[in-house]
Amino acid sequence: MVGNSETISYVDNGKLCQFHGGLILEHHKCESMARPLARPLLPEYLRVSLRLNRGNVSKPVVETGDKVLKGQVIAVPDTPRGVYVHAPTSGIIMEITQRPVASPDADLAPVVCIRPDGKDQWTPRQAVAEPFSLSRQELVQRIREAGIVGMGGAGFPTHLKYQKPAELLIINGAECEPYISCDERLMLDYPHELLQGTRLLMHASGAKEAIIAIEDQVGRVRSVLEKIIREKHYPGIRVVKVPTIYPAGGEKQLIKVLTCQEVPSGGIPMDLGIVVQNTGTAKAVRDAIVEGTPLIQRFVTVTGDVVGEPRNFEALIGTPFRHLLSLAKTDDERLHRLVVGGPMMGYAMPEVGTGIDKTSNCLLALSEEITRHHGPLMPCIRCGECVNVCPQELLPHQLHWYIKGENLEMAREHHVFDCIECGACAWVCPSQIKLVDYYRYAKAELRYLDYKKAKAERAREQHEKHDRRLERLKAERAARRKRHTQRLKDPASARENIAATLERLKQKPAPNRAGEPASISPEGDKSKDNTAETTDNPESSNRTETTPSGKDNNPA
Amino acid sequence: MKLSIESAPHIPRPISVQKVMGLVILALVPALLAHWWFFGPGILVQVILAVGFALAFEAAMLKARQVPLKPFLTDLSAVLTGILFALCVPPLAPWWIALLGMFFAIVVAKQLYGGIGNNIFNPAMLGFAVMLIAFPREMSNWLAPRDIAIHMPGLWETLQHIFTGGLSQSQVAYDTLTQATPLDTIKNGLRQGQALSEIRSQPVFGDFGGMGWEWIANWYAIGGLFLWRQRIITWHVPAAVILTTIAFSLPFFLYDSDVFLSPLQHLFSGGTLLGAFFIATDPVTGSSTPRGKLIFGAGVAILMILIRQFGTFPDGVAFSVLLMNSAAPLIDRLTIPKPYGTKGQRHG
Ligand code: SF4
Ligand code: SF4
Repeated sequence: MVGNSETISYVDNGKLCQFHGGLILEHHKCESMARPLARPLLPEYLRVSLRLNRGNVSKPVVETGDKVLKGQVIAVPDTPRGVYVHAPTSGIIMEITQRPVASPDADLAPVVCIRPDGKDQWTPRQAVAEPFSLSRQELVQRIREAGIVGMGGAGFPTHLKYQKPAELLIINGAECEPYISCDERLMLDYPHELLQGTRLLMHASGAKEAIIAIEDQVGRVRSVLEKIIREKHYPGIRVVKVPTIYPAGGEKQLIKVLTCQEVPSGGIPMDLGIVVQNTGTAKAVRDAIVEGTPLIQRFVTVTGDVVGEPRNFEALIGTPFRHLLSLAKTDDERLHRLVVGGPMMGYAMPEVGTGIDKTSNCLLALSEEITRHHGPLMPCIRCGECVNVCPQELLPHQLHWYIKGENLEMAREHHVFDCIECGACAWVCPSQIKLVDYYRYAKAELRYLDYKKAKAERAREQHEKHDRRLERLKAERAARRKRHTQRLKDPASARENIAATLERLKQKPAPNRAGEPASISPEGDKSKDNTAETTDNPESSNRTETTPSGKDNNPA
Repeated sequence: MKLSIESAPHIPRPISVQKVMGLVILALVPALLAHWWFFGPGILVQVILAVGFALAFEAAMLKARQVPLKPFLTDLSAVLTGILFALCVPPLAPWWIALLGMFFAIVVAKQLYGGIGNNIFNPAMLGFAVMLIAFPREMSNWLAPRDIAIHMPGLWETLQHIFTGGLSQSQVAYDTLTQATPLDTIKNGLRQGQALSEIRSQPVFGDFGGMGWEWIANWYAIGGLFLWRQRIITWHVPAAVILTTIAFSLPFFLYDSDVFLSPLQHLFSGGTLLGAFFIATDPVTGSSTPRGKLIFGAGVAILMILIRQFGTFPDGVAFSVLLMNSAAPLIDRLTIPKPYGTKGQRHG
């Protein structure tokens, strides 16, 4: 289906493509890049979420009061799509409770609270000396056991991207949201590790080519990486600068820019033979294989207009927001909104006690002034600016119109499921409409309706099957009765029949007398029907208990 | 500490409906000044009247509909409607033209449809069209442009005429002040069997369009380019209107230049450029898809030319815009763009 040699030849020519629309936003990354990376002191407690952004919940394998070592597994997945969770440091499990986790609606999910013992004592680790001698399957298995997920924001379990061999690996270092600089910091501070991780992922995916995509505004990154590639003779890895246009770092847009191809609607990059992975993920893979370190820490940018010393931290998973905010000298008085992620797609958290999770790339602490809208909420004036900027080439205002009128099927017809929720439309809207909220609602609602419809459909099928069965039984019964009456009408056979019956009665004890003719009476057949019905029922209810599954359409 | 949990965008862009409307009004200022220069202070009085009535009707209707007054009164959309209407009526038109025109524009076309964003028809054009049909005489008594006018009415005379309908104190006869618009002149000339070349030799005509008129048209175009630079409008509608006007009128003109107007005459007469940049681009009542905008603009141009050449009214911009307004929802439905990932892929 895909001529992948062609996929790559575009980049060889140095030709980049453009996606439709997009925004040019103020960069605001220099603030946090001005300071070096910091490793925070151990916080008083860690709150490790057992649920990923939109993913499955893992099952805890520790209990309150248990002592755990750094890197020890504390929760295991119960589906192939789930992830392992490890203790970020050694300490004691204080409690496992439902708490709001870092997620768009601050949903409640199980959270393991660990009190560090300060020793940071490791559980034995399994480093691999010769990682390239591992088979692809072994590599992917180790990635899974290290609990690695996409660290750009969507948190898709990494091992699931390597079920099939790919042709091209794209390492996404082009964080397009303003303010977030953790990718740039990582590429500058850990270039060797990043490249090693890239090579391991090439090995895992079977891709002969890899592109490390960076923004054209990040200063030295390219020369640093290219120098190492040259010196170490890493084959097949190229560093490509992409224009800083929001959302160039979105998976679909990045693929378009680099390869001039579009991921089919409703599809995944693998449909083009491409795997896209965030820089942080590449490093995490390297750490997992080369050091045997599971994913227990990540780079996180702490910035915003009320942060006194914006910078990047390499923080343990579960580190409370509060801890990082105070290390970055945040002005608590002026803090009005705390966003996890960037200003375009991030989500505001109701409290500062929550811990960062594997996908938290940025804490953005904002004052009231900067978050204020510049006009009142108005009806859509159809100015069309949202249409001009939508990178997915949708009609955001029409979607809004139909969803507002609860005309969800029209929203589907207008391709609501192709929306990547980048928020470009909402940002330009002069009427200040929270457009993305409408699309999320419509998607969730449509998925639910589809699920219900499928369920009803199955129920109907079951019902029809059941009806057909009744029909058949009825026909059989009628036939039988007909045969019987015919036999009775025919005097010879009737006499024979009566004689036979009398004969049988003579041989059997009295109580059966009433029961015998029942076998040919309608009542007898009815009881049979009833059993048919009851055996049918549990089957049908079992089969319909499936849950709807939606595709994650998020840009990295 | 209470944290706000509003959803993204967390750092909103400094833009509002008020600002969008304000920029459109700003873009009209040069044309307004040109209008003043060529036709005297009548336009200022008309703008004040129309805007005043527009805001009054808007406020009354908002009250009646029980929606908050402040955001909707200050969004400047009614102000813009008033200005656009004023630019279309004769400078000395009686005051009740603005009153009735704004009644139809704001009350009927806008508020009864649900207010800003929900109206199907362009309010200014609906008000104008109703006035044109109901009061054709009052709506076609234009002034002679400065260069050929015997007398330019001053502010006092203007006010007098607008509010009392006469010029009692003045020695100047009303007839010497007024003059048919160039398009009116053409229509009447053609009716009397005159050839266009003959008609066009009258002093009211300038190089391309009408004297004075063509300059106002230029300023509309320049204001429109400003709006395009500011990303308030896209190129689609103006380009479609202008190019279609040229393409559609050229064959007629070449066929018989004594009966059919030249493309340039079409472009620089009447409301063509005002329509192309400020009226057909009205987002609420136009098409909103890129291809739809091209169709919409082309439709406006074609209907306008047909009305000018074959209809009973001298200018057709208002009617063609209104006709296309009613087709806009259908155009939108038929031109839904194909999103990312659904177009002809390079590889099957
Ligand atoms: S940007 Fe806002 S006001 Fe403009 S068309 Fe889109 S939704 Fe409507
Ligand atoms: S959020 Fe969806 S509709 Fe809005 S610009 Fe992004 S992709 Fe387009």
